[in-house]
Amino acid sequence: MKAVQVKNLVKVYDGKIKALNGVSLEVEEGSICSILGPNGAGKTTLIRIITTQIPQTEGEAKVFGMDVKHEGSKIRNLIGYVPQELSLWTDISAYENLLIYSKIYKIPKDVRDKRIAEVLDLMGLEEAANRVVKTFSGGMLRRLEIASVLLVKPKLIILDEPTIGLDPNARMLVWNKLTEYKKEYNSTIFFATHYMDEAEKYSDKVFLLDMGKLVISGTPSFLKQLVAKEKIYITLKNGNSQKALKVLSKLKEVSIEEANANRFVLSTKSSKKALPKVLNLLYKNNIVVSEVSIKSPSLEDVFIKYTGHKIEEEGNIKQALATRRMIRLGQ
Amino acid sequence: MKIDEIKNTISQIFAMVELEFRRVIHDPTEMVTRAIQPILWLVVFGGVMARAGVFSNIIKSDYITYVTPGVILQSATFIALAYGILLVFERESGLLKRLLASPMPRFNIIVGRSIAGAIRGSIQYLIIIPLAFLVGAHLVPSLINLTLGYIFITYGLIGFTSISIAIASILKTRERFMGIIGAITMPLFFASNALYPIEVMPMWVKVIAQYNPLTYIISGLRNLLIYDSLDIALDLLALTFFNVFSILLATASIHRIIE
Repeated sequence: MKAVQVKNLVKVYDGKIKALNGVSLEVEEGSICSILGPNGAGKTTLIRIITTQIPQTEGEAKVFGMDVKHEGSKIRNLIGYVPQELSLWTDISAYENLLIYSKIYKIPKDVRDKRIAEVLDLMGLEEAANRVVKTFSGGMLRRLEIASVLLVKPKLIILDEPTIGLDPNARMLVWNKLTEYKKEYNSTIFFATHYMDEAEKYSDKVFLLDMGKLVISGTPSFLKQLVAKEKIYITLKNGNSQKALKVLSKLKEVSIEEANANRFVLSTKSSKKALPKVLNLLYKNNIVVSEVSIKSPSLEDVFIKYTGHKIEEEGNIKQALATRRMIRLGQ
Repeated sequence: MKIDEIKNTISQIFAMVELEFRRVIHDPTEMVTRAIQPILWLVVFGGVMARAGVFSNIIKSDYITYVTPGVILQSATFIALAYGILLVFERESGLLKRLLASPMPRFNIIVGRSIAGAIRGSIQYLIIIPLAFLVGAHLVPSLINLTLGYIFITYGLIGFTSISIAIASILKTRERFMGIIGAITMPLFFASNALYPIEVMPMWVKVIAQYNPLTYIISGLRNLLIYDSLDIALDLLALTFFNVFSILLATASIHRIIE
């Protein structure tokens, strides 16, 4: 059974802006899948169509075999969705937020309090239950939002940038809790992110999206193997860079990607085999190496290979952070 | 519709009302500060007009008593009409997206929130009525009439809240929204029987007042609170038309707010 099935999806806003330009993808039930791409790639638009908020312009979208255009209300009963921005009432307490959501999601009265206590406990928020949400940190807000989704035990959890703006610890905590829950209930998780490490670490399958089009998809290891090459970074101690360039260019196992004064970037199929040879060669030629590091290919490299540009742009993240902060303080 | 569905509908609608109650309890400041202006209208404006003996041949009561329902409605209607700003805020945060992707039907969202906004507005009634007694308004001192009055005003304000939600859905930004609300509140107030009886209005204002839902809320309240009369059927009918129309309009337009 496919949790999500999308065929040739097109979305045009106001007859002008083409946010999605013929996307097709499938999410297997019980898996964790992610859409990875820069801001403006169309991730949020895709999620908003799947969650039945806005209609597509062309193409087909199904959730558990049900059409988003005609069976929206059935779909809404099966999904749990956390938007990118903030989906909590900040002027009431955490417990009250969950209580209101439990009523919206028709959780029977007799199990309501038990479920609320369970998700508060799972998300590590039991002590903050009666605090007004305004006073929460970014990580706590996100955990509470996810708690409000898990409360319903949805078959499909859809998260739009679940950890945007969180520090590494808070991000890890959010994901630990999510995977813990996933193991227990075997739900499907479909999330959008622009953090490639997150997509790589937590998803069974990654869809790379750029400018409204699916670039390529597959398991993280499949995708990385497409780039194939690892990188070796070498910094020399003395100024023998001309000589180093000469000897290294003769070596078959590596190719020189960048040579910048004392700094070299080499690419290779296997750094395990190439690195000893490189170091040996430099040693024999009396070139002293001061620093060496190896970088395995990442999804970012895959993305760059297929689109010609990077995923993350610092400015956009700062902007998103500022928006979230404003929302929190503004209410 | 099955019993379970009806139960769920009611539970969802009341979840929206409960939400509003909890917010007001966490921060009741607005409810109190909003009551300052009508109190001034009642005490200063009402007091002066009463001393001048205006409309004494038409209104069958003193002016302070006469104007009490009017000034309550002035601030209550404003609160109901401004309720949509909350949806503009919720649009800017992700709340509305989440609500519209939840199993709660749009109709339930509208009805629930309209009752919530109406209750927020009718809190003014609870604050101003006791004060009106204090400054010497001759309202019917019957708990039944006063309770009926509360239910009646809340019912009447539902339509105004729905209209506000519809306006918010179409205008989307807080500047445009507050601009419109500011522009319609005063005309609505002046083209009604809030401050003066319909009989003294020029013809064209009379016509507008007859189509103004505010007129019917105030007229019903006067019957209940001043004239001790249960003759409110016509007012109820007019307000029911208004409420149904506004709720349908808001239900049809709410999806536009997140597009």
